[in-house]
Amino acid sequence: MADEPGTAPSRFVFVRLAVRLVAVTAAIVFAGWLFFGYTPPKRQTLPGRQRVIFWHMWTSNWADVVNRIVDRFNRSQDRYEVVPLIVPPTSGSLKTLIASVGGDAPDCMGQWDPVIPAWVERGALTPLEELMTPKEWQDVRYRMYPAVREIGTYKGHFYGLSTGMNIWAIYYRPSHFLEAGLDPNRFPETLEELESLADRLYRYDAAGRLLRIGFLTEWLAQWIAVFGGSLYDPQTNRLTLCHPRNIEALAWLTRHSDRYGFERLLQFRAGLPSTFAADWPFLSGAYSIVVDGQWRVEQLRQYGPEVDYRTVPIPPPRGGQPLACWSNGNFMIIPRTARNKEGAMAFIRFWSGVDDPHRAAEFYTWGGWLPIVPEITEAPAYQDYLRKFPEFRTFVKIMASPNVQVSPPTPVQAYLMNRLSWAEDAARRGVLSPRQALEQVAGDVDRELANFLLSRETDRQNAKTP
Amino acid sequence: MVRRRDLTGWLFALPAVIGLVAFTVYPFVASFYLSFCDYDIFTSPRWVGLANYHTMFTRDPLFWKSLQNVLYYTVFAVPLGIAFGVILALLLDARIRGLSVYRTIYFLPSIVPVVATSVLWMWLLNPRIGLVNTLLRLAGVEGPNWLADPEWSKPSLILMSIWAAGGTMIIYLAGLKDIPISLYEAAMVDGANTWRRLRHITLPMLTPVIFFNLVMGLIGAFQYFTQAFIMTGGGPLDSTLFYSLHLFFQAFQYLKMGYASAMAWFLFVIVVCITAVVFKTQGRWVHYGR
Repeated sequence: MADEPGTAPSRFVFVRLAVRLVAVTAAIVFAGWLFFGYTPPKRQTLPGRQRVIFWHMWTSNWADVVNRIVDRFNRSQDRYEVVPLIVPPTSGSLKTLIASVGGDAPDCMGQWDPVIPAWVERGALTPLEELMTPKEWQDVRYRMYPAVREIGTYKGHFYGLSTGMNIWAIYYRPSHFLEAGLDPNRFPETLEELESLADRLYRYDAAGRLLRIGFLTEWLAQWIAVFGGSLYDPQTNRLTLCHPRNIEALAWLTRHSDRYGFERLLQFRAGLPSTFAADWPFLSGAYSIVVDGQWRVEQLRQYGPEVDYRTVPIPPPRGGQPLACWSNGNFMIIPRTARNKEGAMAFIRFWSGVDDPHRAAEFYTWGGWLPIVPEITEAPAYQDYLRKFPEFRTFVKIMASPNVQVSPPTPVQAYLMNRLSWAEDAARRGVLSPRQALEQVAGDVDRELANFLLSRETDRQNAKTP
Repeated sequence: MVRRRDLTGWLFALPAVIGLVAFTVYPFVASFYLSFCDYDIFTSPRWVGLANYHTMFTRDPLFWKSLQNVLYYTVFAVPLGIAFGVILALLLDARIRGLSVYRTIYFLPSIVPVVATSVLWMWLLNPRIGLVNTLLRLAGVEGPNWLADPEWSKPSLILMSIWAAGGTMIIYLAGLKDIPISLYEAAMVDGANTWRRLRHITLPMLTPVIFFNLVMGLIGAFQYFTQAFIMTGGGPLDSTLFYSLHLFFQAFQYLKMGYASAMAWFLFVIVVCITAVVFKTQGRWVHYGR
């Protein structure tokens, strides 16, 4: 009866239905607005300026340093306002790529993932030299340290300007040397010599379990550089994973593991805290000699001011390279679809210091970063920093070396580096010989690269077809 | 009038329907299309026919490795999970003091977030300072390097999967409560002992629940991802590179979305086939008490 047309209850039902309809429509419109039309508020605080959206992956103390640099830039001029946003380190690259495709790319991004070749192949990045005058580009190009130039270059164009490189060297504990009857002031100059004394630095308990690692060796890419090997030949533009010196480096790493027991080393290290900041086992004396990056100098100041330590370049083996290491770094990129490329470039110039090394030198000391041009190293602020932290000089010295290597400029860079770790693991565990491991990985990488290049070539052909 | 009532129903259901279409149906259909395309997010999808499937079967050794890993995990983890769930349910079905406390204790692990459980187990399985090896050491046994040893990494994850058996235990408990008491009474009158009652009444009457957990367990095992992603990252030596983890790396690390979609669809086919086989066999071993 309530549903009979024309009756009072029926009208009531109709009104109720209309209200529901309006409510549901409003909910749909709201949901649609949320998904398609809503723009989250940007934290622009200086009206009238052009906004420069800057995404980066630094967190905690590092984020504070970044914010200080951003503030300094915003105060230094009245045309742009840089608005920083932290994106998660684990997915920052993917988010940036998706945002670029979606037309909402940041104007610039602070990167450290090996993305340049792969993103350039997909047309995702802006060559930075296009945003410089020819004179500026020539000037910057020749002043940069070799590794800084190489890390940002792909197929003759420059896509990533570093704001601080990472260099690896040896940290050692003089007290452990004294305890073992060694002279801490005379660190070995060759790898062979270092190996012969490392034995005396290891400590074991009564059951034969490790209590201290005398000399921690890992990370094949580092040792490839030190052994004088190479992953890439720029003359032929080919990957050279099976370079004889690479095989020698891996064979040496394997022998070193075998000597102390790979499983035993793994077990010992599994019981140590993480390698982050205050947890770094070198601080607690779990390692006597270790290869690590320059940022540890600042961490040692913060978390282990009482720890006596020294730094030296990794001693090369016979036939190896002095002042060598593998290097990566923080670099700034500008997506192809960025809206304010000029503003982004102004900020990158400001931070990197290519326009005014003396001003930017201070920023490098805030982050404990390595300079990208010699003028920053020579700037008073940086020299003060080196006087304060003399151990940092080791890294600055290596930074200028032509023997510093970066990851090969190949679009399958991430895959290559992952598989290289696999090769190291396989050889050290004795599953494959060093040669077999590298040959297998070389085959995998060649196949991956061939697939990638074929795919891009087909895309190019299709784009040409009307 | 029925139409108006239907309309009202649909209006209320509309947000959910829109969500389902936008976030389930569309990605489902799109991924099928993408599985025949070369797609890296940045450039438009390009039709490549069966190339992704061809690459998967002939040019990607890690595909076979990941499939082998997930099959190994499924073969051991699913039956073990069922066995432990049933045993726990039987134990906690007994009439003892403080039963609800025990039930809560055994159920709790299954509601702990997977990430927290994974981190906890990383510590438990730590070869040097972990609880498992410490206990083994007390017994005079030097435990293995669990997660860092290619021989032990998968068994470690299987061992860890038993930790969450409390979730299925609750379903088995409900199944046990559903068994008519008259069956036990009749069996006791006939002189059946505990083992015979378990063998001929409890387990057969529990088979519908076991069947349900088997199907859900198989589907879940083939999609095994989070624990391996957090605890081992696929290592050592790809020994825990499970199918979904390999798929994830292909999609989000190497941006091979088309290839990852093909992998996802192949996984879907595997799961459907295995589920179909299990359904086909249920007539032989599942008793619905009819």
